[in-house]
Amino acid sequence: MNAAPAVLLEARSLARHYLVSRGMLRRKALVRALDGVSFVVREGETLAVVGESGCGKSTLARQVTMIERPTSGELRLYGEDVAHAARSTLKRLRPQVQMVFQNPYASLNPRKKVGTLLEEPLAINTDLDSSARRAAARAMMARVGLRPEHYRRYPHMFSGGQRQRIAVARALMLDPRLVVADEPLSALDVSIQAQVLNLLMDLQQATGVAYLFISHNLQVVRHIADAVAVMYLGKIVEQGAKVTVFDRPMHPYTRALLASTPKLRSAASRLADATQRDGGASRRERITLKGELPSPLNPPSGCTFHKRCPYAIERCRVEVPVLRRLGETQVACHRAEELA
Amino acid sequence: MALLEVEGLRVEFGSEADPLIAVDGVDLSLDTGEIVGCVGESGSGKSVTALALMGLVDFPGRVVATRMHFAGRDLLGLSDAGRRALVGKEIAMIFQDPLASLNPCFSVAFQLGETLRVHGTDEERASARVRRTRALELLQQVEIPDAEARLSAFPHQLSGGMAQRVMIAMAIACNPRLLIADEPTTALDVTVQAQVLELLVRLQRERGMALLLITHDLAVVAETVQRVIVMYAGQAVETGPVPEIFEMPKHPYTQALLAALPEHNVDRARLKAIPGVVPGQHDRPTACLLSPRCDYAVARCRREAPAFAGPTQRKVRCHFPLDAAGRPTNGWQREAEKIPA
Repeated sequence: MNAAPAVLLEARSLARHYLVSRGMLRRKALVRALDGVSFVVREGETLAVVGESGCGKSTLARQVTMIERPTSGELRLYGEDVAHAARSTLKRLRPQVQMVFQNPYASLNPRKKVGTLLEEPLAINTDLDSSARRAAARAMMARVGLRPEHYRRYPHMFSGGQRQRIAVARALMLDPRLVVADEPLSALDVSIQAQVLNLLMDLQQATGVAYLFISHNLQVVRHIADAVAVMYLGKIVEQGAKVTVFDRPMHPYTRALLASTPKLRSAASRLADATQRDGGASRRERITLKGELPSPLNPPSGCTFHKRCPYAIERCRVEVPVLRRLGETQVACHRAEELA
Repeated sequence: MALLEVEGLRVEFGSEADPLIAVDGVDLSLDTGEIVGCVGESGSGKSVTALALMGLVDFPGRVVATRMHFAGRDLLGLSDAGRRALVGKEIAMIFQDPLASLNPCFSVAFQLGETLRVHGTDEERASARVRRTRALELLQQVEIPDAEARLSAFPHQLSGGMAQRVMIAMAIACNPRLLIADEPTTALDVTVQAQVLELLVRLQRERGMALLLITHDLAVVAETVQRVIVMYAGQAVETGPVPEIFEMPKHPYTQALLAALPEHNVDRARLKAIPGVVPGQHDRPTACLLSPRCDYAVARCRREAPAFAGPTQRKVRCHFPLDAAGRPTNGWQREAEKIPA
C-alpha cells in the first residue's frame, strides 16, 4: 500500500455548545451538541460519520463548512486553524469546503434557473466574466449528467434525483477540496440513490475531492467510505478504517447499529429455515437497544451510552470513557478489551 | 376464504377523460396471521392501495375493483356508517409520520380514549375511568417506559419512536383483524426502527392479526414478511414468498432494485443503478411500463402490455420472466440495436 494521502482537514477536541432557552423563568441550558471530537480527513478520501438523529452529525457539518465557529478546540484545513481564524482568512478558505444538503427540494432556490444556481458561487467568489461562468456551468452540467437544455429550467421541473445532481454540481463549481454531504441520499428512492452514489464516486475519482459523508444508512456508508466515525451524543465512540469498523466493531453501540440495520441476507437464512412456517419466529436474533437517544439537555453521567448498553457496569455509570487506540481502531469504551 | 380478498383494484384521480391511474389492477389476498409486504418506490401506488382499503380515497378519487371483500363483507358497497363501524375497529392503520398523525392539541390518553369511545365495548364507551385504565394497559403493551406519566403527555413531548408506539397502541386498541402499516419505520432511527418492527411482529403473532406492511425498504421486507408484492407505477409486477423473491427474482424490476442496493455491490464498485425515474402521469409509456428503464426491453415490450401471469402464489408481469440464473426466458433475444427511448 502507498503512503497515506496528505491530511486535508484535522479536528482536535472540536466542541460546539449551544445555550438553549427553556422558558422565561428558567435558566438557560447548555447543550453540548459536539463535545470534543478529533478526526482527520485525507485528500481524496471519504470519511463517513454515522449516528442517530441528535448525535451531533449536522453540528459537525456546520463547523467544518465554517458556517459557525466552534466553542473550543482546533479545526485545521491545510494546517490553518479555522476555529480562530480572521474573517478574511475564512473568506479565503470557505470556497475550499462546499456542502450538499439532505433535501434537494429545499436546498435549491425555486426562483432561480439551473444556470443561475450554478453560476452564483462563481459570481460571488471569482472574477470570471459572465461568458466564462456560463461555460463553466455548462461543463459542470455535462459532468454530472445533466443535459444542456436543462440550463434554462427551474428546479421544480426536475425529479428528486436530478435535483440532487444539480446540488452536487453547485457544490463542485468552485472546485473545492472537500465536500460535506449531509445525508445526501436519504430523500431519494432506492433506484435513484444508486445513481447519485455512483455520481459521487465518479466525481471523486475524476477530481480527487474528499468527502465528509454524513449518513445514518450503514449500507451506503459501507459502500462509499474509506474511514468511518461513529457518533453518539456529541462524541465519537469509535473510529477507524471502514473494513475494521464493519468487520470487527468494538464499541457496543457500533455493534448494535450494525445489528439493527435490516439486511437482505436474512432472507437467505430464512430460506434455509423454510421448514418453519412462522416468518416472525425465524427472525434473526438481534442486539436490540433498549430505549432511545437520551436528551442532550440532560445527558447520563459517565459513559453517555450506559443506560442503553447491554454490557454496562458500575464503572460506566461514573467514569467517562476516553477515545483510545485499540488495535487498528479508536474506541471509547471501558470494556472494549473484554468484549472484543 | 382469506380474510382480505381484493381483485382488480383500480384507483383513479383527475378527469374521466384523462385520468391519473394511481393503482392499476392490483390483486391482494391476506390471511389471518399472515404478514404481507408491499414494496415500491415513491409513486408506485402502494400508499394509495392502503388508503383505498381503508376507504380513505376521497372525491375526486375513484376506487373500482372486481372484488374487494373483508371477512366476507363487500367493502365497495359499504354504507358510510358501515364503513365507520369497520375502519378503526377491525381494520386499523399506522401511518408514516407519527407526529403528523397525532393531534397536537390533545393528550395521549384522550386520543387513545377516543378510539375506545367510538369502537370500544359497552363498558369502555360508558366510563372514562375504564377507558383510562385500558389506555394505560395499551401503552404498557407497546412497551412505553413510564406509561402512567405518558398518559397525560402531549405529542410534542414524545420522541418519534414513542409517538409511533402510541400510534400502534391506538391501532391495536380494538383488536383489529387487519393492521395496515404504511412505512411505519421510515421516519425513525435504525435502532428505534428495529424496536418498532420487533414490536409490530410480536403483536401480530400474539394477536393473530393479518399485517400488511408497506415500505420502500427491501431489507425490512426481507427480515419481516412472508409474502411480498412488488409494485411499479401503480401495477403489481411480481408477487411471491419472501426468501424466493430475493433469491430468484423473476421480474427485471425486482432484479434491478435488488442489484441497486449497496449490499449487493461489495467494495466501491459502481452500483448497478436503474436509469431514469418512475414515470409520472404524462410520460407513462404504453405497453410495459418498465420498458424505457429495462435492460432487457425489446420491441414486443414497447408494443404490447404483459399480463400478470403465473401460479397464484408466484405471479409476474413480464413477457420474458427471468429464470433462476437471472436471464430472461420465453425465447428472448437481445435486439441488434437498442432503440433510444
